[in-house]
Amino acid sequence: MTLLRIKNLKVKVEGKKILKGVNWEIQPGEIQALLGPNASGKSTLAAAIAGIPQYQITGGEILFENKNITQLVPEERVKLGIVLGWQSPPAIKGVKLSRFLDRIAKVKIKNERVLNPKLLKRELNVNFSGGEKKMAELSQILALKPKLVIFDEIDSGLDIKRLAKAAKIIKNKLIKKGVAVLLITHWGQILQFLKPQITNVMVKGKIVCREKNYQKILKTIKKYGYEKCKKCPFPAN
Amino acid sequence: MAMKNVKSAHFRQIDHQIKAINQRNGTIILPSPEAYDKFPWTRRHFAKKPAEGYFVWVKKETGVPLTTCVTIASPKIQQNLINLLVVEKNVKVKANVVCNAAKNNLYGIHQAKGKLILKEGAVLIYNQFHQWGKNDFVNPNYEFILGKNSQLTYTYKNLLPPKELKLKTIIHAKKGASCQLTTTINGIKTKISVEEGIFLEGKDSRGILQLRLVGRKESQIKAASKIVAQKAGFGHLDCQGLLIDKKAVIDLIPRLICQNPKAQLTHEASIGKISDQQLNYLRSRGLSEKEAINLIVSGFLEI
Repeated sequence: MTLLRIKNLKVKVEGKKILKGVNWEIQPGEIQALLGPNASGKSTLAAAIAGIPQYQITGGEILFENKNITQLVPEERVKLGIVLGWQSPPAIKGVKLSRFLDRIAKVKIKNERVLNPKLLKRELNVNFSGGEKKMAELSQILALKPKLVIFDEIDSGLDIKRLAKAAKIIKNKLIKKGVAVLLITHWGQILQFLKPQITNVMVKGKIVCREKNYQKILKTIKKYGYEKCKKCPFPAN
Repeated sequence: MAMKNVKSAHFRQIDHQIKAINQRNGTIILPSPEAYDKFPWTRRHFAKKPAEGYFVWVKKETGVPLTTCVTIASPKIQQNLINLLVVEKNVKVKANVVCNAAKNNLYGIHQAKGKLILKEGAVLIYNQFHQWGKNDFVNPNYEFILGKNSQLTYTYKNLLPPKELKLKTIIHAKKGASCQLTTTINGIKTKISVEEGIFLEGKDSRGILQLRLVGRKESQIKAASKIVAQKAGFGHLDCQGLLIDKKAVIDLIPRLICQNPKAQLTHEASIGKISDQQLNYLRSRGLSEKEAINLIVSGFLEI
């Protein structure tokens, strides 16, 4: 059974059409990547899948395990197993990360293996560095026992050592346990560590390419930029 | 924390009746009218003979926190407490003070006038917890006199406010004395008036005043906070409001009054709202909208 299927999804944000008919699907345990230039709609797709209310779905549907979740609130989607790793998570003053993890956890996680114990005692995302934010996101995702994780730019703000550590955790704690993963990335650094089975390219609110060889896509983008994708004679749809 | 231990309190009063006075080593605890008769020196601090209230005279350090609990348990009770707490020279004491209503709908009135005197070098950590019913009227009026080099840490926490709360706190800091006053109030369908002032009356006195107010469900909150530097001291005022309900109002009036060119006074004040981003973030972690708001509020009040 397909884990998540999106049919002709159209999304508006503050009245502006961002997604203009996205078709996409992912199977249980599959790793996929989504690349695209700035403002192509990658984060909008992530937010729409997570059910963020300000992302208004004007057409199409989202099916999770064959259930239509298009109108479901975010917290209900989390209960089903859909979890979003935020690109820039906001600070929540006065709430310690350890307390927050205890509050949201569906399963008990040994956070010390993911996080510096000092970070657990700090207020959630308050004055966290870019890398600390990403590791805190990862610890929350593990605690939520997901079936599908969408990582929005997990590789931004991470140095190569931390990126390798994050990739190792994603591989061992999620992928090996059958969790499906969508890696949204601008530059594609994380892909060399996690080697997606399918790589998608989004341009101007549509997925224009679905390719098994991620290296081929990265080479093309590196050489020609996303301009080449816009002119591709073999679009995904 | 203190709420759970009210039955073992050193002073416990319900309505107008004193239920228990458990003497504590090195401390004299009496009903205020009895103290007025027994210790003539207390008359300098009581304007007239009190009808009710407690007198606590801490003479020695014991390490055991002092606890008091005053409760309204019957309908339409009007308490009028006059309290006096004296901490002797160089004595350190921690006090957990609880005032509450046993039920939500008692239409009670709780008025408390307190004078707290810290003698030279004394240290007082004073935690006050209030929890009231939706129709109560509450009017605490406290004055702290901080002797030379004494230290006060006063935390007032009110997470279940009454229908109307008038809270007045004045602190006089003598030479080298320091104080930190932290007031946190979760305003739910309530009218609140807060008046706080720290008077830096001695050289090198220091005062920090922190205020955290949450406006929920049509609350009307007005808070006037000031630090007055009469001598070369240091003061900082930090007032923050979090407005949640569209019909609630928070009115902050922070004031710094400097009467000495060598004094240093600073302040920060802001009133904000919960951002959509914060709400969305917490909801994407499985919390409902209401749970997310409550978590943000509890974090805001946690200082």
